[in-house]
Amino acid sequence: MSTGASNPEYVNARVRSRRASLFADEDYRKLVRMGPSEIARFMEETEYEREINALGTRFSGVDLIEYALNQNLARHFHDLLDWADGRLYDLIARYLRKFDVWNLKTILRGIYTDSAPEEVRTDLIRAGELDDRTIDRLLEVDTIEDAIEVLDRTIYHDPLEVAYEEYEESHALVPLENALDRAFYERLLADIRGLDTPGSTAPQEGPRALYIEFLQAEIDFRNARNALRLARSGADLDPAAYYIDGGVLFTESELRQLVNRYDDLVDHIAANRRYGDRLSGALDRLRDADSLIQFEHAVDAALLEYADTLSSIYPVSVSAVLSYILAKEREIENIRAIARGREVGLSENEIEEELVIL
Amino acid sequence: MMETLEASNVALQTLNDPGAAAAIAVGLAALASGYAERGIGAAAVGAMAEDDDMFVPGLIMTVLPETLVILALVVVFIA
Repeated sequence: MSTGASNPEYVNARVRSRRASLFADEDYRKLVRMGPSEIARFMEETEYEREINALGTRFSGVDLIEYALNQNLARHFHDLLDWADGRLYDLIARYLRKFDVWNLKTILRGIYTDSAPEEVRTDLIRAGELDDRTIDRLLEVDTIEDAIEVLDRTIYHDPLEVAYEEYEESHALVPLENALDRAFYERLLADIRGLDTPGSTAPQEGPRALYIEFLQAEIDFRNARNALRLARSGADLDPAAYYIDGGVLFTESELRQLVNRYDDLVDHIAANRRYGDRLSGALDRLRDADSLIQFEHAVDAALLEYADTLSSIYPVSVSAVLSYILAKEREIENIRAIARGREVGLSENEIEEELVIL
Repeated sequence: MMETLEASNVALQTLNDPGAAAAIAVGLAALASGYAERGIGAAAVGAMAEDDDMFVPGLIMTVLPETLVILALVVVFIA
């Protein structure tokens, strides 16, 4: 929690400048034709220079790209938290906690598979709110129970504690990971309404209302994605375990009913007036093709476009930061997809299908 | 009671004095441009931090609201 007035003008100017320097379509087209080492060379000439140089001696090829991307992401998002003051900081930190969740999941998986701390360390993206000391301590522990103990007094402790009992029975990490996701998403919207004056209701208009709407969209898309995956896989899993509260698209019981009927599920998303139009193209493809990946990419693109719209409606608010965060993440994932795709020898067209380009 | 009356009398007298009224007008204009420059200045510094070439545009943008004060100064001469 940070005190003092927020400084959206300053943060906005910096963020928009960085947003403008992200890779453009032509860059991706160039990258798709390159091999891993060429991509690394190309990145060295862009803003990834610092990371590539720092890691170049230790890694090579795709690993180098991957770690450089992660570090760059962490550096940029850390900058965001550095710049922002006051309420703006809270709003940004709230969203960046998803990297905490990512890190915790990675660490738990590391413990589960008995990986060496060093290996796990390189996979972390230190862009979240948890400080380095806590993360380093987490890397040292040997059992999941101890890890949960280290997280005492963070927002993840209690949900993990509950999930741990389930874990002991099933010995699968799923309950723990769901608990982390849920802790993150439920915190995303909780107490945002009373951020200024306790007890006030959700704002109906203005940047804050749209911020909430954006977060709801994020939750809805996450729910939709999970539901579709469950419906597709036909696995006999309890959809309620994956349900995240706070969205407007599904209620828990609706999701439970819909998850077994794939077509109805798609119709339900299409019928929603908030998302139906925005995702119509993707939904059509989803109906007749069987490419869930296409839908997920469409959802990502829709969310990105949505954040962009918000940032032009309210130029001086947190929206521009959100849109930058999403765009940066997309860039990282695109480059990673290209590098990995080239490594395993996918054709250019196949790789291009994996990219999310607006 | 008497004091408030006196105070409002003083205020009325001040407004009747053209020089004082003009001074208030200029003062308010300066305050307003200061407020406007606050946001622009913050954004300009942010832009400069990312890109040094933004120094000149940033400087120009920052002092644009200063025209408010200059226009308000006209009031002083015609008052």
